Amino acid sequence: MSGSYKVSYKEDMAIFQNLWVKVWLIIFIILAVFSPILLNRYQLSILNEMGIATIGALGLNLLIGYTGQLSLGHGAFLAIGAYTSALLTGKLGIPFFLSLPLSGLMASLLGLVVGIPSLRLKGLYLALGTLAFAFIVEYILFHWDLTQGDLGMAVKRIGIGDYVIRSQRQYFYLIMAFATFAVICTKNLDRSKIGRSFKAIRDRDIAAEAMGIPLAKYKVMAFGISAFYGGVAGCLMAHYNRWIVPGSFDISLSIAYIAMIIIGGLGTVLGSVLGAILITGVPHGIVYVVDLLKGDYPALSGFIIDFKLGIFGLIIVLTLLFEPKGLFGVYQRTKVYFKTWPFKY
Amino acid sequence: MKTRTTILSLLVGTFLLFSMSSAWAAEVRGVTDTEVKIALLVDFSGPGKFAGPPISMGVKTYVDYVNAQGPIHGRKIKLIIEDNGILPNTTLAAAKKVIFKDEIFAIGFNLGSSGSSAIIPLCEENKVVLMPHGANKRFYSPGNKWVFVPYSTQYNMASRAVDYILSQNRKARMGIIYQDDDFGRDGLNGARDAAKFHGTKLVKAAPYKMGTIDMSPQVRMMKEANVDYILCWTYIPQTASILKETKMMGWDVTLIGNNTTAYRLMFPIAKQLAEGYLAVTPFAPWEDVSPKVKDIIRKYSDFPVVDKAPFPAPMFLASWVYFAAMIEGIKNAGRNLTPETLIKGIESINQLKMDGMCPDMSFGPKRHVGYFSSRVLRADTKNMRFHEVAPIADPKAPQD
Repeated sequence: MSGSYKVSYKEDMAIFQNLWVKVWLIIFIILAVFSPILLNRYQLSILNEMGIATIGALGLNLLIGYTGQLSLGHGAFLAIGAYTSALLTGKLGIPFFLSLPLSGLMASLLGLVVGIPSLRLKGLYLALGTLAFAFIVEYILFHWDLTQGDLGMAVKRIGIGDYVIRSQRQYFYLIMAFATFAVICTKNLDRSKIGRSFKAIRDRDIAAEAMGIPLAKYKVMAFGISAFYGGVAGCLMAHYNRWIVPGSFDISLSIAYIAMIIIGGLGTVLGSVLGAILITGVPHGIVYVVDLLKGDYPALSGFIIDFKLGIFGLIIVLTLLFEPKGLFGVYQRTKVYFKTWPFKY
Repeated sequence: MKTRTTILSLLVGTFLLFSMSSAWAAEVRGVTDTEVKIALLVDFSGPGKFAGPPISMGVKTYVDYVNAQGPIHGRKIKLIIEDNGILPNTTLAAAKKVIFKDEIFAIGFNLGSSGSSAIIPLCEENKVVLMPHGANKRFYSPGNKWVFVPYSTQYNMASRAVDYILSQNRKARMGIIYQDDDFGRDGLNGARDAAKFHGTKLVKAAPYKMGTIDMSPQVRMMKEANVDYILCWTYIPQTASILKETKMMGWDVTLIGNNTTAYRLMFPIAKQLAEGYLAVTPFAPWEDVSPKVKDIIRKYSDFPVVDKAPFPAPMFLASWVYFAAMIEGIKNAGRNLTPETLIKGIESINQLKMDGMCPDMSFGPKRHVGYFSSRVLRADTKNMRFHEVAPIADPKAPQD
């Protein structure tokens, strides 16, 4: 007989549940440490984008996947985080390591405000409410003199005292540290009272309320926490790209984040990570394919460019069609396959 | 306790690696003894995809022509064309790809102003000279060491439009319909500043959101303000809509627009309504472009309908002009080609002859814009072409 038996609550609540998880963690750390030595700057820049997307996706998954509150305004929270940090560091001279939590808090504060209608609205109506919020944020960023319109504004480099982060390698270590921290925080949240309340609300809010879970508190809290993650991701994105324009945070960004968590797997931490990797990676993968074919098959590479968005959409549709549980479902099936091999079940 | 120690060790390890990491070894990226890699970032897949083929064809034609004349200081130009999807995020991804993966030396053309803004820090960090198209006054004033604009901006053209209107009617009442983004607002600012310079003002300004086609509210606002001229800082579909609305109102008002409407695509869309429509552009109408330029295009371009509509001449030629400035800069930089010598090379361009296609170009250490001037064209629907009604001239109001 195989399998792990948990004989105490402590074991059941452990973040690293078994030896395999720990082995994978060690492999991840080794890869993370040596990646910058093995990869070039372009590949590292893709990993950096994935790291930032992971933080944002974790936040949105807490709201949609864990709590069941639909939101089309996640891009706006990233924008709030990005602009808050840009203004704090640029105009007030506040150091990055202070502006980072402050931008998360600012996004969180506005997230709490957006969360209030969630007490009355559900499903598509809530989605429309959050969409309206995103449009308001976009309009303000376009028209407010402080944010300098759609040509955007410069953002300072990340610095700790005299030490300034410049290279992709340095950004990689920083972003991966934050992404790992965000994953651990989400894992912790998942197994806490808050996480369980979120899931209870998602599964049946009336039943949750009957069990004594205050809906108002936890629904608004979910928006606040989700927005905090979004704000932090936005802040990192701003300082990484060093220039922000409102166009970078439009509805397509919110949709990309929704795609990440649906494809990755709703209500799972690993799903958020895998979804962020896939959705961020696909456009770059297409670029690699186009480059590969450009020389020998220029017409084919032209066709791929023409239908780039279509190909991207097709990948999403096929994933949803054949793997509705997302990449997390694939992971689970693979795990079970090896666990039960050579038997089918 | 054990978990805490593990996490602490990981954090310390990460910090140590982080502090030890150093920048990659520096060298002149994109330059070998025999080749210089220059990037063209243009839209093939996004909202501006209509511009991709003519622009890339224009640049390819010009680069083929230049390479056929022989290497520049022993080096041929290698063109790297990349789809930038025109949006800020996609442009940033494209710029990273050409800089980090393809290792280009400079970006000779990037379509889209907000995308260009988004990649400026990347270009600064990696010492990449950038030439943004869809340029805004902010690209040269206050400007940036690494950014050069070889084209009149919307600010310059709107100033020129106001000069023209007031030269026709000193007491003209002017209104403006503009797209509520950097493109339209640059035009609005140019027109406002020029009107102020002439001691007058715009009597009405009516914005619209990008993508809007129905211009009836904006035209009604203009009618209520009783304007004599409407400045249209709009694209072709919106301009055609304005023409239609004024016709439906039976209102005889003169429209004057920008370079994006000054080509033959106006005629199949606006049809007879386009008669008398005025447009400000730095470029000569295609029919007036010098035979020398047309011969080069015929010889080096595989574009089949050079002399027929709807040959998208302005976009084709605009990209050509950008690379003309870049290649002149490379020539001026000499054999020792580095990002810094390229900047000096471009800054030393003085009255670069453009064969009447557009104004001759000059740059300088304090002037990173090729020219401010433009001309005024008038639409002739019978012959489906534009005629010049006012020659190339600088706007009267200060442009810096």
